[in-house]
Amino acid sequence: MILRIERARPIPTPGNATAIMNAGHRSARHIASRKGPSICHARISPYSSAATATAPALEAQAQLSSILPVTSTSLSQAYQIRAGVVLSRPPLLTRDLHPFEKSFYLYQRRLNERLALPFPRYFYFKKDTPADIDWKRKMKQRLTPARDIGVYNPYGPEGWNDEVLVGAQEAEPAWQVKRLLEDADASAPESAGADAAKGVEGAAVAEVGVEVAAEASKKKAEPVERPMPRETEADRKGDQRSLDRLMQRSLYLVVQNKEGRWVLPDDQIRGRETLHQAAERVLVQNAGLNMNTWVVGNVPVGHYSFEYLKRRPHPERKNVEELGEKIFFMKARIMAGQANLADNKLGIKDFKWLAKEEVQKVVNQKYWSAIQNMLTDR
Amino acid sequence: MALRELRSKAASTLWRDLRPCVSSARPNGLRHASSNPLDDLESSSSLSAPPPSNDIIKSWDPVVRTRSRKTQLPPSRYQFRSPKFYRGPLHPHQPPPPSDPSSRLFQPGPFSLPRLEQTYESTIAPDLLTMTYAHTPPGWVKPPKAQRLREWVGDSPYFKNRPLRGPRGGAHLRLLTPPRNFRTIPKLTGVTVHSMVPAAQDDSAYMHVAGMIIQAITNVRVTTHRARKSVASWGLRDKKFVSVTAKLEREDVYHFLGKLVDVVLPRIKEWKGVKGTSGDSSGNITFGLEPDVVAFFPEIEVNYDVYPPKMIPGCHITIHSTATNDRDARLLLQSIGIPFYGKMVN
Repeated sequence: MILRIERARPIPTPGNATAIMNAGHRSARHIASRKGPSICHARISPYSSAATATAPALEAQAQLSSILPVTSTSLSQAYQIRAGVVLSRPPLLTRDLHPFEKSFYLYQRRLNERLALPFPRYFYFKKDTPADIDWKRKMKQRLTPARDIGVYNPYGPEGWNDEVLVGAQEAEPAWQVKRLLEDADASAPESAGADAAKGVEGAAVAEVGVEVAAEASKKKAEPVERPMPRETEADRKGDQRSLDRLMQRSLYLVVQNKEGRWVLPDDQIRGRETLHQAAERVLVQNAGLNMNTWVVGNVPVGHYSFEYLKRRPHPERKNVEELGEKIFFMKARIMAGQANLADNKLGIKDFKWLAKEEVQKVVNQKYWSAIQNMLTDR
Repeated sequence: MALRELRSKAASTLWRDLRPCVSSARPNGLRHASSNPLDDLESSSSLSAPPPSNDIIKSWDPVVRTRSRKTQLPPSRYQFRSPKFYRGPLHPHQPPPPSDPSSRLFQPGPFSLPRLEQTYESTIAPDLLTMTYAHTPPGWVKPPKAQRLREWVGDSPYFKNRPLRGPRGGAHLRLLTPPRNFRTIPKLTGVTVHSMVPAAQDDSAYMHVAGMIIQAITNVRVTTHRARKSVASWGLRDKKFVSVTAKLEREDVYHFLGKLVDVVLPRIKEWKGVKGTSGDSSGNITFGLEPDVVAFFPEIEVNYDVYPPKMIPGCHITIHSTATNDRDARLLLQSIGIPFYGKMVN
């Protein structure tokens, strides 16, 4: 048996190129790549990894790769190298806040009201104009220029009472949006009054308010546009094929392959293609052309390997038997479109867009332990 | 008060002296590596206590409770005022830390979790790490590099013990780029918005309007600057106020950039983007906005009539990041949504 300590195709990372690139290595790679699909020779050498090879190891490699072309009748062993893709749809919405965060933010806004300089009404409103009168009326109601911190008088003797009580609604974002909308609705005829609050003092006012107020100034009498719901039709139906589901989370594409197992899309690397090229091809062959995707970077973000129960002969190369598979996962993002299984050649039966914990339910345990750190919690 | 503190300090010093005796007297209290660490924990926790009942929650009103007090609380104990001046570490009246709301240095915040910050954490940072990651195989040792500053080489006896020679090609040493890992992903640290208004030398109204506008779009109090010396060709006169600056940090940065990228920049007509040569090689990139672009900010737009149209200033925006070179800084800004054009200089 010939000892082959070179990898047939190194992972195209910028770092290892400098470390292990030498003449012998290049020739071995050249030979290996000419012979068809990529393989990974099992190393039966004292050097556990080509990557960690020190100077004597490199010499040994050079010698060994010089005898590589000599054909041998004995079997050599290899792994099948596959490219997988972690195709994800990033979160589209901001996440829901923890109750503590909500209370904390409201408390900080009230503290800010206590410490901020008074609102410069005379800069924004001329005296006794309708906007000025409107402003004074509103200030009498809510006691503070900020519109979303509830009825709270920051300068009064009871300004210390700034903490949120148990069960109070003031800290809820939904309640705050409602207050902002009410304010925008009331001041639609002369929007200047409402909008002036967004000076230095209106620090805490959400972006929603800005857009809403701008809307209000455009169309006078119409009620201002309400924000879209944060849950969609697909959420209610639990449609796991839809990309509109779980908008606060990352969704990952998992496919059911021809053996019926749920996996991240993958395929064998063919010819001399790089992992990046392979990832693009895998996406097209697995889930069709109707997706606008972007493969992030040239390095894999994780890998999964398993051994076959029984060694198989290599489909295309003589004297090589396959020990198992090694899948290197590339990261990809979907910008637009949807997966389409019509006329795919890999025998994909079904697909789903799943969040992290849903992926765990459909894949097997060993696969999950290999992929779980690539998937984000949010 | 001082006396009481003194007493407690004396007690603590006494305790410190006593402690070794106590531990030597009871060596059995020590935990061994083999014993279960959970045994040392208290079995009951205050967190497991049930919340107050609904009646208490509904009837609880701190204001009413305070008003119903027959005698008011002594102000000396309950209304702490931080000292106006720091009188040294030995003075009994010490200022509280700046994180304490009663401190004079206290700054409230954060007030929200900005959308851009969440996007950075969930999407941008992981992608930047994947894109710029350079793999070093296990066991790989970084080749040693010569020291950055050269020594004085020669026969002169004066070279002995002399400080190293200055850096090549400039007065300053460039920043070193550390190997990329999850700790060294470039991050936004600040934004400086600067507006130069030379017309303010003759009419201070320009300065006031510029200040109000920069303050409105950044949510930060501005600082004003004087001309340091007269420059006839620029029309600058010595010691006249000419510019305003707002320095944004933390939450304000994300709100400002979010507005800029989502609302303002898309509305500029025929804007090519930021010049690729911008940047100071230490992670800061600057670009300018024309006065009519500044008017696109929502805070200005909704209230446009308030500002005299001719006095609306342009501004320069410097985005600071922890990137150590222009390339990384540009990548970060591109991922946020700021386009670049032309020759990219690193």
